[in-house]
Amino acid sequence: MPVLKFKIDYLLKNIQYADLETIRDALFRLKCETEILEDGFLEVEINPDRPDMYSLEGLVRAVKGLLGAERGWSRPSTQNSSITVEVSNVETRPYIAAAVVYNVNIRDDEDLRQLIQFQEKLHDTIGRRRRKVAIGFHDLDKLPSRQLYYKALRIDEIEFQPLGIGYAKKASKILVETEQGQKYGYISLKGEFHPFLLSGSDVIAMPPVINSNITRIEVGTKHLFIDVTGTNKEVVEKVLDIIVSNLAERKGASIGQVHVLYNSAQITYPTLKTVETVLDLDYVNNILGYSLEPHRAIELLGYMRYNAYFMEGKRVRVEIPPFRADYISPIDLVEDIAIAIGYEKLQPSRPEKYTRGLLLYKNEIKRILRDLLVGMGFTEVMQLSLVSPDDVELVPRKPVFIKNPVQRDYSVLRTDLIISLLGVLRQNQLLKKPVKLFEIGRIAYLAENQEIVEKDMIALAVMDDEMSIEKIQSPLYTLLEILGIEYSISSECTEQIFIQGRCGSLMIGNQKLAEFGEVNPEILEKQNIEYPIAYANIDLEVLAKWSSKTLHRQ
Amino acid sequence: MKKEFKVSRSEYELLKKIARIGIEEADIEELARELGVNKSTLESLLRLLAEKGVIGIEETEEINYSLTNKGEEALSQGLPEEQLIDLILSGTSSLEEIRSKLGDIAGIAIGQALKKKYITIKDGKIVLQVDPDQAKKEINNLKIILEKIPEGIKEVPKDLLKRGLVKKTRIKKERVKILVPLDEVLDNVVVEVSALTRDLIRSGEWRQVALKKYDITALPPREYPARKHYLSEFIEMLRDILKEMGFKEVEGPIIELELFNFDLLFQPQDHPAREIHDTLWIKEGRVREVIPEELLDRVSRVHSSGWRYEWSAEIAKRLVLRSQTTSVSARILVSKPKPPLRVFTLGRVYRSDVVDATHLPEFHQLDGLDGDNAYTFRDLLGVLKEISERLGFEIKFKPGYFPFTEPSVEGYVRLPNGKWLELFGAGMMRPEVLEMAGIDYPVGAWGFGVERLAAAYYGLTDIRHLYTKDLRRIQLSKIKL
Repeated sequence: MPVLKFKIDYLLKNIQYADLETIRDALFRLKCETEILEDGFLEVEINPDRPDMYSLEGLVRAVKGLLGAERGWSRPSTQNSSITVEVSNVETRPYIAAAVVYNVNIRDDEDLRQLIQFQEKLHDTIGRRRRKVAIGFHDLDKLPSRQLYYKALRIDEIEFQPLGIGYAKKASKILVETEQGQKYGYISLKGEFHPFLLSGSDVIAMPPVINSNITRIEVGTKHLFIDVTGTNKEVVEKVLDIIVSNLAERKGASIGQVHVLYNSAQITYPTLKTVETVLDLDYVNNILGYSLEPHRAIELLGYMRYNAYFMEGKRVRVEIPPFRADYISPIDLVEDIAIAIGYEKLQPSRPEKYTRGLLLYKNEIKRILRDLLVGMGFTEVMQLSLVSPDDVELVPRKPVFIKNPVQRDYSVLRTDLIISLLGVLRQNQLLKKPVKLFEIGRIAYLAENQEIVEKDMIALAVMDDEMSIEKIQSPLYTLLEILGIEYSISSECTEQIFIQGRCGSLMIGNQKLAEFGEVNPEILEKQNIEYPIAYANIDLEVLAKWSSKTLHRQ
Repeated sequence: MKKEFKVSRSEYELLKKIARIGIEEADIEELARELGVNKSTLESLLRLLAEKGVIGIEETEEINYSLTNKGEEALSQGLPEEQLIDLILSGTSSLEEIRSKLGDIAGIAIGQALKKKYITIKDGKIVLQVDPDQAKKEINNLKIILEKIPEGIKEVPKDLLKRGLVKKTRIKKERVKILVPLDEVLDNVVVEVSALTRDLIRSGEWRQVALKKYDITALPPREYPARKHYLSEFIEMLRDILKEMGFKEVEGPIIELELFNFDLLFQPQDHPAREIHDTLWIKEGRVREVIPEELLDRVSRVHSSGWRYEWSAEIAKRLVLRSQTTSVSARILVSKPKPPLRVFTLGRVYRSDVVDATHLPEFHQLDGLDGDNAYTFRDLLGVLKEISERLGFEIKFKPGYFPFTEPSVEGYVRLPNGKWLELFGAGMMRPEVLEMAGIDYPVGAWGFGVERLAAAYYGLTDIRHLYTKDLRRIQLSKIKL
């Protein structure tokens, strides 16, 4: 979740009638967690559905609304900037939208920091780390020409001075030698071609990688020229709308339109598109379990900065402002109404209907097994189901590997619970013998035909100074006897795990119920275990299917 | 009042035996022989009785003389000096000749004879200086002493000891003396036993005996009971709570299609949570499940119109380790259950996290669905409140964001340490989700991670302790439920 910092002084200056605690409380109600930092900053966690709150202006707008100080939204004044952007077929990043905001007036370093934070957070979230959308801020007064061109050019033919570098470099070098180039250079590069934004003949940006130093914004910059490029036209336009409508909240600011010329069409930006919808209050009331009248709904929507108007009946017309990126359908208005009411004011209610609770039958059986095994002196263990590739080599089954693991030790699902039990026994060799333990859990592996098998198993193990198969047979048989399971005994068992001639299987018909025996010393040696171990595993599904409890129920 | 004698059972048995043979005083070794018991056992029992003042033990030392091999030889063949005199009397006088005839004992014989002034040596010849009868008489006196030694003798001339003909040994003897008449002791004895036995009970003798008092402040050895694991106990408690609230348990696979883990939950395919850093894909393997085309069509339609992108069925069919048990909820919704719907699932989920004190690569999640024809957001808040209260926590609500719910809510519970823990993620399933699944009534969804709550519940600062390999930790874990 994006974490932003805002200077507390600036927040208080912008919301003069509220103290910090009131502001923090309002932010909490707007889904934000806050924390006061030592250096005079407020840290704010903002959910990814509200990118309009990633700048001070947007955050203040939302807080003021919720506190009832301001309502709705009014369209900022707009004029023509006389800037044009000519687009010629940028295959890898086809869309660009641009606009001017006059009188932004970057007064100090904090203003500048806050603006860059806004840009970065938009990149990381809605911009999908610049792949979908990238933003460039430019000092309008530094633009060499009002004729701009957005096109793909050969990277070995273009040279410019990138931001933060003291001299001009070839674009091909910028991609390789700068941190930005390494991080974002691959996104829109195709062969030798990369998108560039030129002002007259000067490169002012190489989206989505880096801007040129020519139009650098700094303290003292008055007016901003903003470009937004990307792969999805609607999102590109939405991001521009968010930025422009936020910056236009600044005192004295106004918007300058930019004409973007495609081969076949001309679009004037920003569109500042609003969406209109009709909200049925019965719908709202049914979802919230609340009774809301139109005048109250209009008021609440206003607090959330929507413009809402009366219609006949229990309906209101709602205008969604251009900076709201999260509106998909009327349900999104329902949540904002609930937020404006305050979740704490919505009384939790109790269900009126009686329903019968029920556990998975398998889990009922698990409980019986746990009790019986503890009664026989076995302690329950719980281990992670992700293990290392070395662990699964113990078992002759084809494992399910993770394609992109984070740590090798947790990169494959256990194929048998013996992996977990041996891991625990290895660490408990110094305890008084016998050491007896069990685990109930899921294993996974690939069948012959590559199909994934998931199974819930029970495994038990006994470690002692001297082993006899009875030490595992006797608890196993007792368990099955108590559960009323009838089985046949076979001498077949997994060769790699057990000592041949000292192991066996229990079958119900041709279904394998359990396998048990003395663990092959070769495995023990590999696992650094000095004591003999007897092990048994039971297929929980088969067990649950044939227990007397099951048969009795049918 | 008569004196009471507290004795152990074996002390009591011994006293009875001694009384039977009726002695006042005896050597312990002899007594052992007489009673037919092991000497060291007898000794330790007598010492215990001595501590109680019933008997006294007196230690004495006896000196015993015995003949050495040399002494035996002197008796049978004559003392060396005696043999020398006999040789001289038979006419041998050359020192050399005498030496060769006497052999080993020549040195001693000549030495003794010189010492006793029986002989002198002149020009290589030995000459008698005394009357041989007188000398023999002296020698005979010594032999008489030697002869008496095996029978026992009080004193032995030092000379014999020095010459190594006689050995002196000291023998320690213990004598036991009865201090209190045994009849009196036996009349006033109280037998103390340290353990009650089957024999005592069966014979009724437990009535006569006294059970020894324990030092009750001494610590016993520790017990290590077989136990259920504390995390599984916690999980079962959660199951009980949900069952009691009328929820029915369901389950699903841990290796899951992206369709159920993401797409049906309205998570767009280019969402950051579906990127390589956050999603764990399966390297190889397939599932048999066939997804109905009609379901894929609905998902495609809803995603394309809601998120404005081209939805891919191929991406939806990839296999991941489920990142949330909400995948099970998605499966349930797709099965179009009739209202009222009240189900929960509890199982493992997997994340791209590096293991540390607060992160595990996998953990349990509890997820629930609750829906009915007139189900409301307030009903959902009611369920969250109920679960928290049953867990013993106070709850507060905060608006939240999840791609598949609207309105969304986060439930914070107040832990015993006063801190608020973000526990629940919940909300009303978005109409888009219900449309994809084909559900026509409102449904609330909620879920939370089990381990973080369990760690808080048990006061663990390191979440890895929930998956400990230390059996003692499990066996001695404190009850908190």
